[in-house]
Amino acid sequence: MTDVAIRGLSKSFGTNRVLKALDLTVPSRQFVTLLGPSGCGKTTLLRLIAGLEQPTEGEIRFGERRVDGLPPGERNIAMVFQSYALYPTMDVARNIGYGLEVRGTPKAERRERVGAVAKVLEILHLLGRKPRELSGGQRQRVALGRAMVRKPDIFLMDEPLSNLDAKLRAAMRGELRRFHLDLGTTTIYVTHDQLEAMTMSDLVVVMNEGVVQQIGTPEEVYARPANLFVAGFIGTPPMNLIPARNEGGRVTVEGHPLPVAAPAGAPAELILGIRPQDVSMATPGEPGTIPGKVWMVELIGSERLIEVEIAPKVRVTAEVRASHRAALDDAVAVRLDPAQIHLFDPASGQALPREAVREVGARPA
Amino acid sequence: MSRWAAALIYAVLGAVTFVVCFPLLWAISTSLKPKDEIFRWPPTLIPETITFESYRELLFGGAVASAPGAGVPPSAYFMDWFVNSVIVSVGSTAISITVATLAAYSLTRFRFRGQRAVPYVAILGYMIPSVIFVFPMFLTMVALDLPDTLLSLILGYVCITLPFCLWLMWAFFRGVPIEIEEAALVDGATRLQVFRQIVLPVALPGIIAASIFSLIVSWNDYLFGRVFMNSMDKLPLTVGVMHFFDGTHVDWGLMMASSVLMTLPMAILFGFMQRHLVAGFGAGAVKG
Ligand SMILES: Nc1ncnc2c1ncn2[C@@H]1O[C@H](COP(=O)(O)OP(=O)(O)O)[C@@H](O)[C@H]1O
Ligand SMILES: [Mg+2]
Repeated sequence: MTDVAIRGLSKSFGTNRVLKALDLTVPSRQFVTLLGPSGCGKTTLLRLIAGLEQPTEGEIRFGERRVDGLPPGERNIAMVFQSYALYPTMDVARNIGYGLEVRGTPKAERRERVGAVAKVLEILHLLGRKPRELSGGQRQRVALGRAMVRKPDIFLMDEPLSNLDAKLRAAMRGELRRFHLDLGTTTIYVTHDQLEAMTMSDLVVVMNEGVVQQIGTPEEVYARPANLFVAGFIGTPPMNLIPARNEGGRVTVEGHPLPVAAPAGAPAELILGIRPQDVSMATPGEPGTIPGKVWMVELIGSERLIEVEIAPKVRVTAEVRASHRAALDDAVAVRLDPAQIHLFDPASGQALPREAVREVGARPA
Repeated sequence: MSRWAAALIYAVLGAVTFVVCFPLLWAISTSLKPKDEIFRWPPTLIPETITFESYRELLFGGAVASAPGAGVPPSAYFMDWFVNSVIVSVGSTAISITVATLAAYSLTRFRFRGQRAVPYVAILGYMIPSVIFVFPMFLTMVALDLPDTLLSLILGYVCITLPFCLWLMWAFFRGVPIEIEEAALVDGATRLQVFRQIVLPVALPGIIAASIFSLIVSWNDYLFGRVFMNSMDKLPLTVGVMHFFDGTHVDWGLMMASSVLMTLPMAILFGFMQRHLVAGFGAGAVKG
């Protein structure tokens, strides 16, 4: 029941400015993911929220309470570390109950609460073991139990699944989501894995180089990327980003007009973004298509990726059904779904308003 | 491995063990022999007559020989020496371990200039033979008005054991991931609780290893005791037992019985701590 408000938060390590005047609001009871490439400052932000680092500037509030300046123990948060950070000399029961122990919770109550959490996490049989006697997945559960047992206001999780194998990771994604729905605790979850972010979150905060790039639901950051970084970062295979021009209100790519009108006031040079799923193969010469040569073909399970070179060094990837055959150097054409085209201003990197990107009737090329 | 190879290896190991242990066996044997059997030729490894005369003289000689006059035999001081050795070894070890543990912890946890150099500079001291600095240290003790006191010996031993203890503990703390401390802080523990309940238990094998090292060094030291101490009743064991050699004649029975009694505490200690010792010297291999 606690929202987190971060205002103008900066953090520097020496001359390295890791977070740059960051603003972020995490609504109460939501599962919010900090998503960004490695080194973009996600962990630093989480540690600032936890109180393990002190901000250079700015403030952090939990609800009405200003917390920057408070030691971690007084913030009523729980954190799951990437390395799990279990206490090596304590058994699982004491690991989970340690937070209650130092807060003076009576032994009987402690045992009961540890037992309850262990039951939910299905680790009752492990309570007597030491961390070194546990598998990675079991350690992960103990770390989770340690966070859950204290009924904190906020859960902070730093890539908690990154040390698990792929199968376990997939299973744990669902479980974490389930626990969150049951407990309703505000959760800030750090990951560099967009699949985790997209499948688990209420809100995704896309970060790069210490700056928030976009905040939105998974659908929003996928369907309406705010800028070139988000467009290129979210989605696999990544969105095609190709140079385009605004010629008298009409969008062209390599001189081929597309059935799309540029918004009023759009610059002459544009970057056009389109996801491979929204690119289809066409016969050369069809109106509204862009001709080119097949440059590379890749089979990814039920789909096939066809990379088409439409000009020297300019390639568009189309994701088509695996049954679609294509040979290298075939003369082909690609059709871009006009409804799915994103336009960006190359100078600022910002997306042009989607509403303004209008579809116009195809005209013979 | 074939049975023959195994047998061969055990035979070799047995032979080496025998060679290594022979002086100790010989000492035990000699300490149990009456005086006339010690020099008998051919020598006997198993004493023909077993006597505890030497041990009795060492352990209870102080009470018997307290007669007035000049004729107090050195063996009367044995128990004093023993107690002195215990005091200086335990005292210096306690100081070394406390200081080394706290220093090593701060060296791995707080950032400051030259932080990484400290343990290496500390260990450099061992490149210098202790005979070189024992006399300057003695002069320092004189300046402090401390010579011929057990405290001077304790301080001296701290000087020679602290650097290695520091280095060992440093290597140990480096292997303790900082996240477990941060996790405890988030759990609501105070800094002191973190140190006592999280860090110290993890560092315990290192502390035990460093303690054993420090105890052995101070227990076995001769040089510092010889230079710093003067009064008969204040000597450590190593220096004291040299009085069983009066310049012309060695009392081998007493000498060997002392050796056995001196070895005993360390042997017992080792027996108990062996498991931890191995863990301690594997420092850095601790994983969270
Ligand atoms: N304690 C620190 N001292 C100096 N630099 C740090 C420290 N912690 C993080 N950094 C730097 O801050 C940047 C962001 O790191 P981090 O927050 O861990 O990124 P992420 O978790 O997104 O991968 C990195 O360039 C890293 O080198
Ligand atoms: Mg990180």
